[in-house]
Amino acid sequence: MTAQLDTALLVTVLAGGAIYLCLSRRFLRKLLGFLMLSNAANLVVLAMAGDPTGARAPVLHEGVDPTTAVDPVPQALILTAIVIGFSVAAYLTVLLYRIYVDSGTATTPRLERIAGGSDGLDDGVIR
Amino acid sequence: MSVLVGLPIALPLGTALLALLFPRPSTARRFGVVAVLAFQLGFSVWLLETVMRQGPLVLALGGWAVPYGIVLVADTLSAIMLGLSSLTALACVLYGFAESLREHEHPLRVPLLLLLVAGIHLAFLTGDLFTLFVAFEVFLLASYGLMTLQMVATRTRRALPYVTINLVGSTLFLAACAFAYGLFGTLNLSEIAVRSAELVGDVRLDLLALLFFLVFGLKAGVFPLYYWLPVSYPALPTPVAAFFAGMLTKVGVYVLIRMFGTVLPAELGWLHGLVAWVAGLTMVIGVLGAVGQSRMRTILSYHIVSQVGYMVLAVGLFSPFSFAAAIFYVVHHIVVKASLFLVGGVVLRIHGTDRLDARGGLWTAAPILSIAFLLQALSLAGIPPLSGFWGKFLVIREGLSQGQWTLVLLSLVASVLTLVSMLKIWFGVFWSKQPEGVPLRLTPSSRRMTAAVCLLVLVSLGIGLGAERVFEVAEHAANETLDRAGYVQAVRAVNQGLKGGEGP
Repeated sequence: MTAQLDTALLVTVLAGGAIYLCLSRRFLRKLLGFLMLSNAANLVVLAMAGDPTGARAPVLHEGVDPTTAVDPVPQALILTAIVIGFSVAAYLTVLLYRIYVDSGTATTPRLERIAGGSDGLDDGVIR
Repeated sequence: MSVLVGLPIALPLGTALLALLFPRPSTARRFGVVAVLAFQLGFSVWLLETVMRQGPLVLALGGWAVPYGIVLVADTLSAIMLGLSSLTALACVLYGFAESLREHEHPLRVPLLLLLVAGIHLAFLTGDLFTLFVAFEVFLLASYGLMTLQMVATRTRRALPYVTINLVGSTLFLAACAFAYGLFGTLNLSEIAVRSAELVGDVRLDLLALLFFLVFGLKAGVFPLYYWLPVSYPALPTPVAAFFAGMLTKVGVYVLIRMFGTVLPAELGWLHGLVAWVAGLTMVIGVLGAVGQSRMRTILSYHIVSQVGYMVLAVGLFSPFSFAAAIFYVVHHIVVKASLFLVGGVVLRIHGTDRLDARGGLWTAAPILSIAFLLQALSLAGIPPLSGFWGKFLVIREGLSQGQWTLVLLSLVASVLTLVSMLKIWFGVFWSKQPEGVPLRLTPSSRRMTAAVCLLVLVSLGIGLGAERVFEVAEHAANETLDRAGYVQAVRAVNQGLKGGEGP
């Protein structure tokens, strides 16, 4: 495996930006941060297949040397990870929107202030 | 027979789909769900008995040979965890049915709980790292759904820490899977066990092991990654909270036991020391967090953190005896914690609040509930002969024999403070006088809910009184978990049964 310095740098930039966004106070930035973070992780998975330069697609039939094909396993993994990441992102979007509707704010510090004295744990009979 | 290993996953999954097809909550639907969960409990006990007698059962999914395909492995530890999760699910579902009328039941609640159970069971059974990641995602998504289903507007913000920290955890887990594949070239846990033994001393293995501890420690709620737990758990509906409190963090503990015991090499001594010290801090910080709280369910949530410390400490001490102690502690803790949360739910129903200073008088009004709480609270604090005493005794004995005086001292301090806050709940909610003019809402449904709690209390008493037998099972599970060669051999043996299969 050759050193994939470009991929490593890209992952660093994506993950660093994602952490910056996640730590922000605004919901929208947090959401974008999580999307970037999951993409950074997906890139890490893809990078584990090794440098694809010059390798052929992993479609094997007679007369093809398997050692010249890229490793297909990370591609299968990344597909699963993308699907899972998508569903979780969809859930997070709805949750943040619900919190915005319920509390009327889209930033975390104000969320704490609105909650103020009440912790909202009383009369909690959910039927 | 090994095809039956898939049943604990297929059964709740199929029942969840059936429950989605028949969305209207009816008595027949309720009976069906309870019957399936009861059958699952019986099956888990049978599975435990079988694997203890004849060794691990392995199922190669799709007939793919190890290490190319995905395997399901049921050994003693997996079977114990399956039994516990089936028992907790049964008790929580019975409690939920007793708590709310059929007409008020949300059609999605039961299917989501069953999907959660299916995901947890997949995590217990899988012998493949990436499938473990998928299992975590399956049960996390179901738990997000359960958490926010019918959540009242003042509480939705409490779901945010839980969801975000698990999102970060899942992303790290995915990256860890990728690094493991890059390092070992396989995702099969038994093959990783073989190849990681050849990499001892390699800094990449050390970093990967540290990343695994970070990811699963976060799921288990160890210091300093526990903030989400006491924020979100008290906001959950009682049966869901009890199941989460019993099972979810313990999935993290189970994976820690499996990873450090079976998969990663035993030579990671520096990491085991780190695990033990993090666990020691978790015990004390968790219990100190509970001291300042004035709500029963918040106090109980902080105690989950503290108790997870004991289990992780036993993992960090890293000997066959300490692993047996960790498994015993998990068995004790899941039952006790779930039943305490259910008691908290009954209190909330009777009083309308679980604040310690607002109400009282349950000792005379609901003696059975009070006795159930007292037994479980004293068990949690570690009073003999209840199950918690044996759990703590085993961990502390191993700590003493290894000369870890500071850690033993920390666990004793945590134990005393646990007793203090349990007594605080006892005097606040049960013993003190009910204010004049405030009626207690004792209804037939609160009595039925108490009956569901008593199911778990009886099991817990059984664990305490039959501690010797339970410890034998835990010891067997611990020896099997630490026997890497046996695990690898059992998993590889599955290739001989496959058509045209050949070993790696």
